[in-house]
Amino acid sequence: MNFWFTVFRQVGRNLRQTWPSQLMTLLTVTLSVLIFAFFYLVYTNMLTIGDKLGDDLRLIVYLEEEPGPEMQQQLLRKITSFDEVEAIHFISRTQAYDRFSQQMSRNRDVLEDMPRDFLPASIEVVPLKTLRGLKQIKLFSEYLAKLPGTIKVQYGKDWIERFYSFTNLLSIVVFLSGSLLILTAVFMVAYTIRLTIMGRQAELELLKLVGATNNYIRTPFLLEGLVQGLLGSALGLLALYLLFDWIKDRFSGPGLFNLFEFTFLPVQTFLAIVLVSILLCTVGSFTSIQKYLRI
Amino acid sequence: MILQQPETDTMIEMIKVSKIYPPDVTALSDVSVTIGRGEMFFVIGMSGAGKTTLLKLLCSMETPTNGLIEVAGKPIHKMKGSALARLRQKIGVAYQDFKLLDDRTTAENIAISMEVSYKKPDIIRKRVIDLLEQLNLSDKHDTITGELSRGEQQRVALARAVANSPTLILVDEPTGNLDAITTERVMKLLNKCNTSGATVIIATHDGSIYRNTPHRVMELSRGRMHAMHGGESV
Ligand SMILES: Nc1ncnc2c1ncn2[C@@H]1O[C@H](COP(=O)(O)OP(=O)(O)O)[C@@H](O)[C@H]1O
Ligand SMILES: [Mg+2]
Repeated sequence: MNFWFTVFRQVGRNLRQTWPSQLMTLLTVTLSVLIFAFFYLVYTNMLTIGDKLGDDLRLIVYLEEEPGPEMQQQLLRKITSFDEVEAIHFISRTQAYDRFSQQMSRNRDVLEDMPRDFLPASIEVVPLKTLRGLKQIKLFSEYLAKLPGTIKVQYGKDWIERFYSFTNLLSIVVFLSGSLLILTAVFMVAYTIRLTIMGRQAELELLKLVGATNNYIRTPFLLEGLVQGLLGSALGLLALYLLFDWIKDRFSGPGLFNLFEFTFLPVQTFLAIVLVSILLCTVGSFTSIQKYLRI
Repeated sequence: MILQQPETDTMIEMIKVSKIYPPDVTALSDVSVTIGRGEMFFVIGMSGAGKTTLLKLLCSMETPTNGLIEVAGKPIHKMKGSALARLRQKIGVAYQDFKLLDDRTTAENIAISMEVSYKKPDIIRKRVIDLLEQLNLSDKHDTITGELSRGEQQRVALARAVANSPTLILVDEPTGNLDAITTERVMKLLNKCNTSGATVIIATHDGSIYRNTPHRVMELSRGRMHAMHGGESV
């Protein structure tokens, strides 16, 4: 009871004496949490998109000519001998034409003059969901390209490659901003606490002389670090949420953003970020106060 | 709490204690003295004799270069951390240079020694008011100590030393800046602490407070024990 009364009064004194630098630290922690959480949010959404793209992934094998039933069986065996697949659809020339004209919808009349068999026949291979990763898909497509009678294999290679390298880049940015968060949280908090300690050297000396335990001296500073971490991360995440909401609102018309469902960070991640920030800031404050107490 | 040691009559045991400040200022050499529980004890001598150094050794503000020091049966110069802290809570010190926090009020300064042992706020409040009354400082309760006169600061330092009812009270030149009447008030307070069981050690060169005393008086001269007077009442 009395312990916490004294602790809170001490924290109050510290804040009154050094609030400008405390505020600066709070802002820095907030900003680094915001930056980190922002990139992390983008990254996780990209991963979800990647997953969806994977679900919709199809390898289209264009054929020189329409395969007869016997040939279809042969191809089927060949394809499944490389790897199990989810499904294989044979698409005849006319089916291809129908699909295409459906996609054209309003501009269908352009196709009027075209012969009904101007599109090649193809096989649509839906790979297993377990076939993940660009490399495996590449290998599979190379295998399919070598089947007799194929013209070429298509799976939106460029686009997928660019997407994967983008998510790779993002993971690096997430890592860097995470390191930034760690550095700022630990060092900025350690620095402000050290400032406070130096401003109160006389008092801390006296406290030791009248028999204050290390816990008595330490707890207010640790609490300060803890509060910095809690407030900093909460504010940072709140700012991110507002930003997220605003962006969703702005772009909620038809467009790229509606192709995919964007989601905010799940509660577990949210809590994890807050907890880690609290931990980091407390550690920062702990190192400063330990350095002092050892003298 | 003394666990391993039974309660003894000895509060302070110093055996062949020397203190050399670097590089080579000998402040104390080969001082041996035993002070009993509940004793009032004077340390006198000219300026520079080593009185302050002796008190600083007793509260572990300085460490001895040689010799053994025991306070309440514990080797205080070898103690650290919370054990030292808990022992220090039982030692009240009025420093020669006061060591007051100049930006805090009189009441706050006195309260510090009680706060570190988690006394209840209203007990602290009452004790502060009571002490200020005894030392004729009641009107300075909310004055910043930086604005007090030397004599007033001296009494605030003394009040802080005795506030937590310590079992050992060390007082360094308690009357240096005081008139005769205030000196009497200060000595009355210290006697009261002593009567209620505290061991009181007073370093002074003010003859008026140790002349005619029934208590023991140790005279230091250039860091050595020069003479020991009195002691019949021990
Ligand atoms: N921190 C210190 N460093 C070096 N010399 C000191 C220090 N403190 C005291 N001295 C010296 O030790 C001697 C004893 O000082 P002190 O104990 O303060 O004497 P007193 O209190 O009897 O006047 C003096 O010569 C003083 O100059
Ligand atoms: Mg002195």
